[in-house]
Amino acid sequence: MLVVEHLTKVYEDGTVALKDVSFTVEDGEFMVIIGLSGSGKSTLLRCINRLIDPTEGRILWNGKDITEANEAEMRQIRREIGMIFQHFNLVDRSSVLTNVLTGRLGYTPSWWSLINYFPTSEKQRAMQALERVGIADKAYNRADALSGGQKQRVGIARALMQDPAIILADEPVASLDPVLAHSILGYLEKLNQEHNITVLCSLHYLDLVQRYATKVIGLRDGELVYQGSGDDIRNITDAEFKHIYGQEAQRLSVSG
Amino acid sequence: MTEASLSPQKQPVSWLQALLSLFIPGLGQAVGGAISRGFYILLSVVTLSGLSIFAAAQRPRYPDYTLSFHAYLRLMVASAALLAFLLAIYWLAKRYVMRGEFAHNVATPAFVALTVVVLGIAAPAIIDTVLSPDEQKQLFAFTSLLVAFVVVAIWAWNVYDAAHIRNTERAPSMSSFYLLVIVGILILGTRIVQINPEKAIREYKDTGVILSRIVWPWKVAFDYSESQLTAEAKIQAPCPPDADPPPVNEPKEGEPWVIVEPTCGDLSIRDNKGKLTFGTQLTIRGGGFQPNKPVHIEWENPIGNAFTPRGVGPTDIDVGSDGTFTTQLYVPAITIPSMAQGPQIHTLRVVQRGASEFTGKLSDEMKMALRAMLESIMMGLMATAVGIVLSVPLSFLAARNLMNSLHTTTQGFVGGVIGLVGGAYLGKLAGDWLTPMVGGLEKAPVLTFTIYIVLVIGLAIIAYRLLSRALDAAAERLSPPVSLGLGVLGMAIIGAGLGYALGVGYAHGILGITRGAEEAASMAGRTGLLGAALGAFLGAAWAWRLGTSSKIPLGHLIYTGVRLTLNIGRSIEPLIWAIMGVIWVGPGPFAGFIALTIHSIAALGKLYSEAIESIDPGPIEALHATGATRLQTIVYAVVPQVMPPFTAFTLYRWDINVRMSTIIGLVGGGGIGFLLIQWIHQFQYEQAGLAVWLITITVATLDFISASIREKMV
Repeated sequence: MLVVEHLTKVYEDGTVALKDVSFTVEDGEFMVIIGLSGSGKSTLLRCINRLIDPTEGRILWNGKDITEANEAEMRQIRREIGMIFQHFNLVDRSSVLTNVLTGRLGYTPSWWSLINYFPTSEKQRAMQALERVGIADKAYNRADALSGGQKQRVGIARALMQDPAIILADEPVASLDPVLAHSILGYLEKLNQEHNITVLCSLHYLDLVQRYATKVIGLRDGELVYQGSGDDIRNITDAEFKHIYGQEAQRLSVSG
Repeated sequence: MTEASLSPQKQPVSWLQALLSLFIPGLGQAVGGAISRGFYILLSVVTLSGLSIFAAAQRPRYPDYTLSFHAYLRLMVASAALLAFLLAIYWLAKRYVMRGEFAHNVATPAFVALTVVVLGIAAPAIIDTVLSPDEQKQLFAFTSLLVAFVVVAIWAWNVYDAAHIRNTERAPSMSSFYLLVIVGILILGTRIVQINPEKAIREYKDTGVILSRIVWPWKVAFDYSESQLTAEAKIQAPCPPDADPPPVNEPKEGEPWVIVEPTCGDLSIRDNKGKLTFGTQLTIRGGGFQPNKPVHIEWENPIGNAFTPRGVGPTDIDVGSDGTFTTQLYVPAITIPSMAQGPQIHTLRVVQRGASEFTGKLSDEMKMALRAMLESIMMGLMATAVGIVLSVPLSFLAARNLMNSLHTTTQGFVGGVIGLVGGAYLGKLAGDWLTPMVGGLEKAPVLTFTIYIVLVIGLAIIAYRLLSRALDAAAERLSPPVSLGLGVLGMAIIGAGLGYALGVGYAHGILGITRGAEEAASMAGRTGLLGAALGAFLGAAWAWRLGTSSKIPLGHLIYTGVRLTLNIGRSIEPLIWAIMGVIWVGPGPFAGFIALTIHSIAALGKLYSEAIESIDPGPIEALHATGATRLQTIVYAVVPQVMPPFTAFTLYRWDINVRMSTIIGLVGGGGIGFLLIQWIHQFQYEQAGLAVWLITITVATLDFISASIREKMV
């Protein structure tokens, strides 16, 4: 269970990215963060696995305060937190298999990496992860030879290698077409429902949110301005919508 | 103001500003509001004039700047007169002669061309009028005149410009001004660089002699067999007292022969004043040689030393068309040692050189050159290889994006520094104790060096880790004020140490210059203490400000230090490193290798680190998020991304190293450059040409190879 308490992030030049954000994510939820670009979604996600250090506030992961953890402890904690990115963040010149294997680096001794050694069991695990996302046949291709949707699936496979308890997804489908977006989010939903992996995902488009989310929080200018369940978001009013996205936002009509 | 912008032709002309600029260039512009413009105009006039006065005076051994100055002023007056005359013609022509658009377009270029032509033709006349012949000998008058004219033209433009300027918005274009300044600089440059096309053209033949030898040197690359015909006759000198003289030769068929009569005789004698008294005269007849080709006579003494006899008769004899010759020769003056026993038989040899024949074998010089070229190529290769190995780790330390995220706490820093320094010192002590047992520097240098390195670095690292972890743990246990106090104290100690070293260095380095070495040495103690106190204070203050858990940018400090070292290493050219290398290990390819390696490490370190800095940070972030260590992130996210630029830079460096290795021999670094400079000094230009050809072929081939490799890699 992830508890975020009074999280605040102020950058050195004075920008307030997050302001006193508090919420809870139960195990097994598919929680979606919505908001305009620049509202703090990426910052929030990166504070959770401390890629960015918050200025104030606490984050409790399964009861342990991770904001106070030192670097060595943090590495252990990060193993349980998988992450996928908007621009996929794959190593282009390496093979797909190597990319997926890097997800396991938190568990392998440091010096094995110098000689590029992964035990066969790890390689098998990697192939299984690739099968789960349906691109096992591309295992030995170079990562930059894949399409966008395939690359994101590799990203998911990489995150799966960590055996994570929670997956953070920073706008995972923003660079993909609508069909692919549904496909990727479908994978995430499958992981969420079949393997009980909590998903904390930021999305732009309301139709995706309404289809997949079990819980929703909305950010605006770094502040939490909306909290709701999946049903709540499916019945979101215009007033609430404009409260999250601003007065100039217009809703495209949603059918079914 | 609006009226002025409506009709540009009607802009009012300011006579005041024009007058001011006539007096001092740029003044009118400044008054009119364009201060920087006026400044640049004045600056250019002053600079061009000053440079001209300097450059024109350099003709005699002792330049007379006063004369140059006065001559320059006089030439300016003459130029002003000429320019006024030309401008008058131009104005008249424009007013009365030239009509229509074509004329207007061509007017200005024609005017410029006319000015150049008139100036060129009238220059000698002007110079003769303004300067006496004696004065002309003391100056480069032509340069002075040209620059004076240019400056006068700038001055005139500046008057026109000042008249028309109100503020910088509607000012006339400055392009004529820039052009004139550039022309002036070019004239001065030609003079200062002593560019002399006349000389180059007149003396072009001087290049021909040596150039032809260098451009086609292949004759000396091969060995030539020299066929020769020889015949011998034996002579006994002095004559045997009671025995028969040697037999006289008989003529032979189909073979060269020589008959000497008599076959014994008296030696010539040379007294100690050099006067020669002749001995027996020999008549020499020979035949069976090649017709119409001269023969050479050699004399061999009884112990086998051959030489050409001097002063006793002709030794280069013409051969008739029947292959025979006849000549006479006195027995040469030879000293017979007193211990010589038995009959003294000398040999008279007749040699006729035939045509030298091409054998197809390489000459000794060619073999030397090929060996040296191999040396150079391997030098370049080895330097690149070792350079890569040593520069890769350095490059990671010099990459800002990798280093900036490395932080440490105050106590960690303090513990680390004290640990490193203390551990290194302990290592040195341990080495001092251990190495005499294995033989010390003289008997086992490699072992000694290895022991020292292992002990110093090993103990330093161990002490660093122990101490910084201990201090970190202690800081967590102790209350904040105490741990802060510890940090402050520790930083003060480090600051004191650094300050002391700097203080002593200041004394020796700076005071040693201003106050002399002895006084500086006596002051060193005091400056050291002062430095220590200052350092302690600054260190403590800094630690106080940072607090205990705050972060010291350790990575940034390391980055700055490594970058600085690499830059210094790069700035010193390999040739200079080679000189140091020669002093260190003596001349030869090892010195060249050292020089190229040091420079390669610095250059590659910088190039690699820049490649690392330009990578995509996304994969680094992703790997960080999986819980990977710093090292794992580098291996899996950084290294794959930097492979293409690393390869490209490595090949580029190999290219440069091979090229540099060829000339590093000029300062003693071995390889082909070594041979090249020796042959040039001995005036053996064909051999030098061989070296040049080999260098060219090698470099071109390697260029081609590295280009193809680069294509395949990326």
